[in-house]
Amino acid sequence: MTQGAKYRENEHVLEISKTATICVAVISEAEHHNSQSFPLYWLLVDKESLTDGKIPSSMQKDISAVLADSLSQEVLACIPEERSKWLERFAKKEYKHFAERQFLPGVTDNLAHTVEEALRLKGLKGIIKVASGRGFLFKEKSGDADAISEMLIYKEYHPLTDRFVVHETSDDGAKLLKFPHVVLPETPRVENVNLELSDANLEALSKERLLALNLDEMKAIRQYYRLDKTKADRKSHGMPEMPTDVELEVLAQTWSEHCKHKIFNAKITHIDNSKPRELRSETITSLYKTYIKAATKKLSQWRKDLLSVFEDNAGVVKWDNETAVCFKVETHNSPSALEPYGGALTGILGVNRDILGTGLGAKPLFNTDIFCFAYPSPSLPQRPKLLPAKAILDGVRKGVEDGGNKSGIPTVNGAIFFDPGYRAKPLVFCGTGGLLPLHIKAGNETRDAVKKHTQAGDLIIMAGGRVGKDGIHGATFSSESLNEGSPMSAVQIGDPFTQKRLLDFVIDARDAGLITGITDNGAGGLSSSVGEMANITGGAIIHLDRVPTKYPGLADWEVVVSESQERMTISTNDFDGIKKLAEKHNVEVSNIGEFTNKGYFEVQNNGKTVALLDLEFLHDGCPILSLESQWSPAQITMKTGKQPEHLGRVLLQLLKHPNICSREPIIRQYDHEVRGQSVIKPMMGPAQKAPCDAAVLLPRLTADLDRAPALAVSNGLCPRLSEHDPYLMAQCAVDEAVRNAVCVGADPDTLSLLDNFCWPDPVYSDSNPQGKRHLAELVRCCQGLYDAVIAYGAPLISGKDSMKNNFDDGALKLAIPPTLLISCMGRVPEARFARSMEFKKAGDLIYILSAGVLGLAASHYEEFNGWQSIMLPELDLDRAPTLYRRLHTAIKSGWIHSAHDISEGGLAACVAESVIGSRNGASLDVGEYHKYLSNLYEERGTQAFKSWDFVTRADALLFGEGPGHIVVSINRDHQSDFERHFEGLTSIKIGEVTAEQQLNIVDSEMKPEEKDLISLSTQAMKTAWETALPFD
Amino acid sequence: MKPRAIVLTGDGINCGDETLFALQIAGFDPLLTHTSDLLSNPKILKDAKLLALPGGFSFGDEIASGKVLAIKLEAALKDSLKEFVDEGKLVIGICNGFQCLVQMGLLPESEKEGVRLASLARNNGKKFINRWVQLSVDSKVSCPWLEGLTEFDLPIRHGEGRLSPAKDSEEAVKKQAPLRYSLEVNGSFDRISGLTNAKGNVFGLMPHPEAFVRWTQHPSWTRLTSLPDKAPPGLRIFQNAHSMVAN
Repeated sequence: MTQGAKYRENEHVLEISKTATICVAVISEAEHHNSQSFPLYWLLVDKESLTDGKIPSSMQKDISAVLADSLSQEVLACIPEERSKWLERFAKKEYKHFAERQFLPGVTDNLAHTVEEALRLKGLKGIIKVASGRGFLFKEKSGDADAISEMLIYKEYHPLTDRFVVHETSDDGAKLLKFPHVVLPETPRVENVNLELSDANLEALSKERLLALNLDEMKAIRQYYRLDKTKADRKSHGMPEMPTDVELEVLAQTWSEHCKHKIFNAKITHIDNSKPRELRSETITSLYKTYIKAATKKLSQWRKDLLSVFEDNAGVVKWDNETAVCFKVETHNSPSALEPYGGALTGILGVNRDILGTGLGAKPLFNTDIFCFAYPSPSLPQRPKLLPAKAILDGVRKGVEDGGNKSGIPTVNGAIFFDPGYRAKPLVFCGTGGLLPLHIKAGNETRDAVKKHTQAGDLIIMAGGRVGKDGIHGATFSSESLNEGSPMSAVQIGDPFTQKRLLDFVIDARDAGLITGITDNGAGGLSSSVGEMANITGGAIIHLDRVPTKYPGLADWEVVVSESQERMTISTNDFDGIKKLAEKHNVEVSNIGEFTNKGYFEVQNNGKTVALLDLEFLHDGCPILSLESQWSPAQITMKTGKQPEHLGRVLLQLLKHPNICSREPIIRQYDHEVRGQSVIKPMMGPAQKAPCDAAVLLPRLTADLDRAPALAVSNGLCPRLSEHDPYLMAQCAVDEAVRNAVCVGADPDTLSLLDNFCWPDPVYSDSNPQGKRHLAELVRCCQGLYDAVIAYGAPLISGKDSMKNNFDDGALKLAIPPTLLISCMGRVPEARFARSMEFKKAGDLIYILSAGVLGLAASHYEEFNGWQSIMLPELDLDRAPTLYRRLHTAIKSGWIHSAHDISEGGLAACVAESVIGSRNGASLDVGEYHKYLSNLYEERGTQAFKSWDFVTRADALLFGEGPGHIVVSINRDHQSDFERHFEGLTSIKIGEVTAEQQLNIVDSEMKPEEKDLISLSTQAMKTAWETALPFD
Repeated sequence: MKPRAIVLTGDGINCGDETLFALQIAGFDPLLTHTSDLLSNPKILKDAKLLALPGGFSFGDEIASGKVLAIKLEAALKDSLKEFVDEGKLVIGICNGFQCLVQMGLLPESEKEGVRLASLARNNGKKFINRWVQLSVDSKVSCPWLEGLTEFDLPIRHGEGRLSPAKDSEEAVKKQAPLRYSLEVNGSFDRISGLTNAKGNVFGLMPHPEAFVRWTQHPSWTRLTSLPDKAPPGLRIFQNAHSMVAN
């Protein structure tokens, strides 16, 4: 048992009356500002460690040594009653108010945990527990207590996680905050629940207990308890006939949408109103099987490197003869809407654990993060339950910084996308890739490390953090219903340091052959992790009395479904070995039960069975949903206008757009290089200003790394097209991910994709009248996804869906735009082939590669003008895969100096970015491209192009957006090789790289007075592009 | 026989793997060693020629970066470490490892035992920074680790890298500073980015030499028409260390 654990256990038996609190403030010497803030601590100590109620001087000295920098800080430490002296001191310095921030009881307090450990390391005796906080001082002009609270809310404190109290410095100090003890009311540990109820009452029961089960599901559960076999089983285990609350909670968790993906497995009657009447209706038995699994299955005959898809916590692809790479992307939207910092942090740490729980344990290599936000603006809807948009941005960004940086996992790739639709809910996608050995030696045995080898008789080990109320039915709690000592369960804050120790431990334990199986404790806690692993052996039994908890007083069901973070569930046949290694790593491990082959998921507490569920029923007993969808093509009213006079000014405005401008200030705060594996970083080029299309990194550190194969990681996301057609949206998302990966040098025949659907609620009901439409959008999205995946030959290896991205407080209903994120990884044959997107050398020739048509619909140019058109972009799926393959060969031949995809802001923004990232300029004549489009227009006939009267208009040509287009610059010595190489495809020379730092674009096909389109200095574009996003 | 190097890991140290790799290709026989193993068996330092404290977020960077690791090492290893340094063996602290050396008072070296001359404080601008910076070597301060290097690039990745000397210690600190940022980046005193002791066997720096041991790590390597044959500057630092112990 580690020292830390022993002390924490003491807390369960220690009576509060036998403790004392030492209050500490660490003040910086410069104490003369109008306002200032500083750390506060409450140290809970054994009363006997004080001398006559006073802090001994040696203790005083040690506390100062640990908590302050002697060169610049002063420590005030005293018993609570003496804090009146603090107030006097503050008053003397003319401060009018002293505010205290303290975590609410039970909220994860990482600083406090480290302080506890540091004080013990310093040799301090009698430390039981620490709480951390912050003090703030204000002079009179900051206003009264309310003004101060108003000013600091969501910036310095969040009502869901913090207590924030403002005192006057003239107070006597009696109201200053005390140690935040967790106090739980006495609750029965187990209850029996009667299901022999009317339909209405069954539904009411589900609602009341927050089970989120529908009537069919409640009835299926009731039916299970009516079976003679169930009754007999229960009798023999001394169980009542009625279900226990533990069982209901386990069923509700296992059958939840989050874990069971009921919508993706539902039987759907899909009505497509755009088809002739007799063809309108079709039945889809499961979106997942029909479109996602089927696509991968089809492609797996060519892709022998797919080692594990859709089975484990992440998709696994063979890397070389010794290792495999795996990748998983999760969403953490609802938690981030509620408390953005904790939401994003637990999102990242959670997906890291998914990787750690893949096979016998993979080591995280990199993180990716993609955010969809509403841009902070007074025009956004404001509701009491909607956090300010800016608070969401800052909280999420900080959560990602701490989650990645402190774990030593580089954040290598990401995206930030703004659309007012995300006011309904911010989307926070957290991805992690990992490296897994193919084989592990365990004694004389060599295990396939991609698989789990848990056997009946193996012990169930819980490793890492302890169990608390965290995340239990979290989202439904509200702050009003909580009393003073309630542990906050709605919000979870991750602990990257504890998890880093856990991670190091798991990798060591894996390599020592101590792990037979492993999975993470995320959503659903032990119920989910043990429940899933029980499927391998055919049963499991958990002993709750052996599960360490953060504080006493939890009900049995709470221990089983708690989502307390930083925990892994491991199966082993060598607990002693595990325990020894865990002690070295300062990780707490507990033997909490055993995997069996008895066919039950059983839970006992002190020898008494509190849950006994047939494993088959638990996992396969959930009734299949039947849903209806209805599709009608989007009705969009055209609204366009004349081409603006100054296209250069338009380009500058577009470069300032939040979806286009530089992400550098955010990228710089994320460690994107730790582990020493980066080849293409987020920002490259001579001034580190070139925003790269995708990351390239080396999964393994071995000799001759410049020639070693490297891994490209990219993403694609085009939610604005959903409004027009989710089928196209899905295709464009796949294409964008693929195109980005190819641009940095990935071989298009080695790509693996991940799908993450974030949707507005697609289940129709009285309160959700748009349900059928949203389900139809999902159907079309899956169809588009299938077609694109097959065309590119890039299989889906893992995915996730989040299906309730709505806001509804009774007064206002909001829904996000249907969003599909595609994440992609692929192989760059040698690191030295990798390409960055900035122009390299004056004289290089610039080409546009095209497989499709760019469009104005859903473009940022259209948004800028306030237009709405139906000139949709097109993706030529017959030609695009060939185009990308040829580009890849050209890259390997060394002809290509830069490659950059055309995305937000169109051709003009694309070229502008390649100029800004370089020391060069560019001179473009788009005449040939113009001619090409005119010919296309002629060929197709005006009928097909009815909606795009301005296909060849200069603004459409410069700012049209869409899939299938790449701008490359090439070494002019290879011009003829290059042109020959692309014969039969569309590759059009549009200009050359210049030494002068200037972007000039002309169109020689236009009349002389109209042919000058854009002339801008690099500096002007750079200034516009570096417009700051509204992050702190 | 290749010289043994101990690379500390555990407790939130993150850069163990790549520091191990850098030492390996520089000619060392490095051993990744968990703090618990070093604390329970300080004798492993006897066979080692170099101790590396890599970068990372030891103890989550809580209280102050490197502080709790310093408390932990001092409590159990103070004498062994002193002996190691006094014998002239090499110690390198990178980023969080450097912060730890400063917290322990090993850098900057002080004439008075237990008196620290400087702290590494929060960056000006209060933000964590990951970017490549140009560094310049001050040839007036002897530092065999930087032999053959004058100006070179390395990445910084820290939130607390602003060197702040105690009152009246400015000159003493300057004398121990062989490495500076060519341009202002974090508000560090005199743009100092690395310190060494008088003997030159203890070296600490905020930038990450282990992150530039191959050319394809540099942010503008894609501009190169061909990759150079010589060792990148980061690797050079480890190779210099190897020359120091091999002689």
